[in-house]
Amino acid sequence: MNLRQKLLLLFSLTVAAAVAAVAWTVLVRIRIVFEQRDQEETALFVSQFQREFQHRSAEVAAAVDHIAASERVRAMAFEVVQSGDAAPYLTEAGTLAQDAQLDFLEIVGPDGNVVSSAQWPARFGYPEPIANQTTTTFLKREDLPDGTSVLGLFAARTIRGAEPAVHLVGGKRLDQNFLADLPVAQGMQVSLYSDAGTNVLAGLDTPTAPAVPIFAPFDPARLLSATGPIANAARYQSLIDSARKTGQPTSSILYLTDHREDSVNATAIPLKSDKGDVLAVLTVSISRSGMVQAQQHIRAIAYGVAAGGILFAIVCSLWIAAKVSRPIEQLARAAEQVAAGNWETHVPERSRDEVGQLARSFNHMTAQLASQRERLVQTERVAAWRELARRLAHELKNPLFPLQLTVENLVRARALPPEEFDEVFRESTQTLGMEIANLKTIIARFSDFSKMPKPELEHIDAKEIIERIRSLYETTCATTNLDQQPICFERDLSPDPMPFLVDPELLHRALSNLVLNAMDAMPEGGTLTLSAKPLANQIEIRVSDTGSGLTPEECERLFTPYYTTKQHGTGLGLAIVQSVISDHNGSIAVESHPNKGATFVITLPKSSPGV
Amino acid sequence: MPNLPSLLAENHFLIELTDAGEGKAPACCIGTGPFQLTQGFPKTLVANENYWGGRPFVDKVEILTNKSIRDQWLDLSVGRADIVEVPAEQIRLAQQQHLTVIASPPVTLIALAVADSGVLSNPNLRAAIALAVDRSALSNVIFQKQGEVTASLLPNSLTGYSFLFPTELDLNKAHELRGGLPAPTLTLAAENNPTMQLAAQRIALNLHEVGFNVQVVNAATAQHKDLALLELALSSSQPQSALESMLRGVGVATPVLENTPAGLYKTEREFLDTHTLIPLLYLPRVYAISGRVRDLRLSADGSPLLADVSLQDAQ
Repeated sequence: MNLRQKLLLLFSLTVAAAVAAVAWTVLVRIRIVFEQRDQEETALFVSQFQREFQHRSAEVAAAVDHIAASERVRAMAFEVVQSGDAAPYLTEAGTLAQDAQLDFLEIVGPDGNVVSSAQWPARFGYPEPIANQTTTTFLKREDLPDGTSVLGLFAARTIRGAEPAVHLVGGKRLDQNFLADLPVAQGMQVSLYSDAGTNVLAGLDTPTAPAVPIFAPFDPARLLSATGPIANAARYQSLIDSARKTGQPTSSILYLTDHREDSVNATAIPLKSDKGDVLAVLTVSISRSGMVQAQQHIRAIAYGVAAGGILFAIVCSLWIAAKVSRPIEQLARAAEQVAAGNWETHVPERSRDEVGQLARSFNHMTAQLASQRERLVQTERVAAWRELARRLAHELKNPLFPLQLTVENLVRARALPPEEFDEVFRESTQTLGMEIANLKTIIARFSDFSKMPKPELEHIDAKEIIERIRSLYETTCATTNLDQQPICFERDLSPDPMPFLVDPELLHRALSNLVLNAMDAMPEGGTLTLSAKPLANQIEIRVSDTGSGLTPEECERLFTPYYTTKQHGTGLGLAIVQSVISDHNGSIAVESHPNKGATFVITLPKSSPGV
Repeated sequence: MPNLPSLLAENHFLIELTDAGEGKAPACCIGTGPFQLTQGFPKTLVANENYWGGRPFVDKVEILTNKSIRDQWLDLSVGRADIVEVPAEQIRLAQQQHLTVIASPPVTLIALAVADSGVLSNPNLRAAIALAVDRSALSNVIFQKQGEVTASLLPNSLTGYSFLFPTELDLNKAHELRGGLPAPTLTLAAENNPTMQLAAQRIALNLHEVGFNVQVVNAATAQHKDLALLELALSSSQPQSALESMLRGVGVATPVLENTPAGLYKTEREFLDTHTLIPLLYLPRVYAISGRVRDLRLSADGSPLLADVSLQDAQ
């Protein structure tokens, strides 16, 4: 990924992240605001519910008080106490309840048994344990003849004038009609879950009540709003069960369908009896559709802004790339050219900012490099001339000294008799001839080095070159002088074809040089191995010996002209070899450790078959 | 069959001419008793001039049906009726309204029929039901002490052995007989009138105490009845005939072979031991009459003997 792409990605991510952060903040804030509003509405409704509940309680209490205070009821109570016969009043409760518009009314005799029941007339004679309760109104689940039970708001009163006391227990249903009277805000739904409870009849088989209240399983059909059963009532199960178990108001977000807008903020308020048992649960649900729609709207806007921002970032990145990345790209290309050896590279200096300063520094650096290279070339050239002069002086000094002696002998021999002079002359001229020939040889070597021929390339297989070397030096290695041990010549050639485009004579000369060096490195005998194998795009030729090896310093300077480790070497052999290999676009390296032999590794480009 | 005459006199052997043919009304009135039935509405009994016992005092009797008790009493109070029905449990109320009330001996048996099929094919469960019903509560409260608690088919006034059938409830024994079996859900059918429905609900409450779940339904619309609260009329003043008629009324065709108290007791005991019919109480038939009605007597089955009745203002 180049700098321009990185800048584009960076700008896009920055804009998208900024938009996302703003959108998230707004969404969270909206959610908090809506939740606060829902909580306030719920709290308001709860307070209204409590007021309505108290109002209903007062109504029930007033109705029961009115009945208890009526002359008819007091006379009835007196008669019941006096005669002990409650049979004539079997239907009295029904009549009284109808007159007082109560849903429930029971007359309870002095013995605590029901005398008359409006809601269940057949229940006369059965005990009513809460009749003695004279506190305020209370919630109670009332059993009905059809086996069901309904929730009611009750009040119990004692009928004055009769002793022992006769009681009244009256109440009104807490059902859908009650919910219909509650003030409900728009978007709010109020429903009542009345627990199935345990009917007095159904519980007759269990002589003792369980210590821990056992709630009937949640029944969605029992969750009713003012208009009837509510949709998706089963989704309220966890909330209502929690309120039933804990006895505390519980709030939660309920998802009524798979759509988020069909979710509600629901609060379950347990309605308890005077003993603290949860008899019913009032649920207040406030639709979250408004909030969800607002969130969706904001999210859509955020997506739009983010898309626009990304497009804007692309445009900006292109413009900024023109300003910033283009000089840097030019610098990168210039650096690549410098690395390739073009030290004369220059980049334009357009600005005065950091990039412009970087360009100026780069140009200064390349100028310095070119200057230093020039000085280095000059220095090397001087050093080479000095080395050449030193070598020439060294090489020429040896033959010149015998020449000088011979000439001086000839001068001194002029005083000798002619016969002796002739003898001396003949020997001197012979010596002069030999030394002059020696000087010619030295000059010829230097001449050869300076006049390396241009390679005449032809296709050949590496095996042919190796075989030619083997045939030339294998016998020489086996039959050496008396003061040398024989050398074992080995070759290791890959069976695969190893074609390359080389000058056979130059390469033969280079390999011969390496073989002779290897033989010189093993005066006490050893193994000389010549191997070749194809690589991916190259041919690798290795010349190894088992001699004394080379130090790292020697390895580093080995190919320097006129550097030699031999006593009578010119230091030009390996330089010539490196020159030949370089002329073939190849490379040569040496691998060696002291006393572990040395290996020269030549790699040459492989040629394509048929080329 | 020594009881053939009384058997033939029962209501279900009546022969009624409903159509004289081709849609024409019969030419003459129906019947050979003191009154003859005429066609049309309201049903009218016309004095039979040729009655062998002598012509009745009143010329005709109009019978109005399908009127509530309240309307009947209203008609009586304003002079539109001379004889009206009074449910037994409302005798006290009728007296409080200063109506002249005339009541028969106990002639209507309130009984609980128990199916011997399904879960109730177990005789122990039927026996448990019989022991769980609180007859005294039914009699004293629902029927306002106008009933006679009984556990026999025939009233004690007719046989004298009714006391041999215990009427007390025994919840412990009922529980024991039920034996901890799972509480079955039973349907109890009763007539759709408030008193019978209330009695049925009370019985349901009693049965719940021994572990039965009972649902009270309307007898007219009930598809299935495990229990049924019945009103069985005493059709004869002759014990043997009355017993045979009653057994036949509940679908048992067991002839009573001996017309002796021991034979009747044995027959009754054998039948009641099956607990397919549980007698609860006997009720009288009660009427309220206007002030001008004279010499009204009730027959053995509680029906008014109209042939002897005269009206004061008609003299």
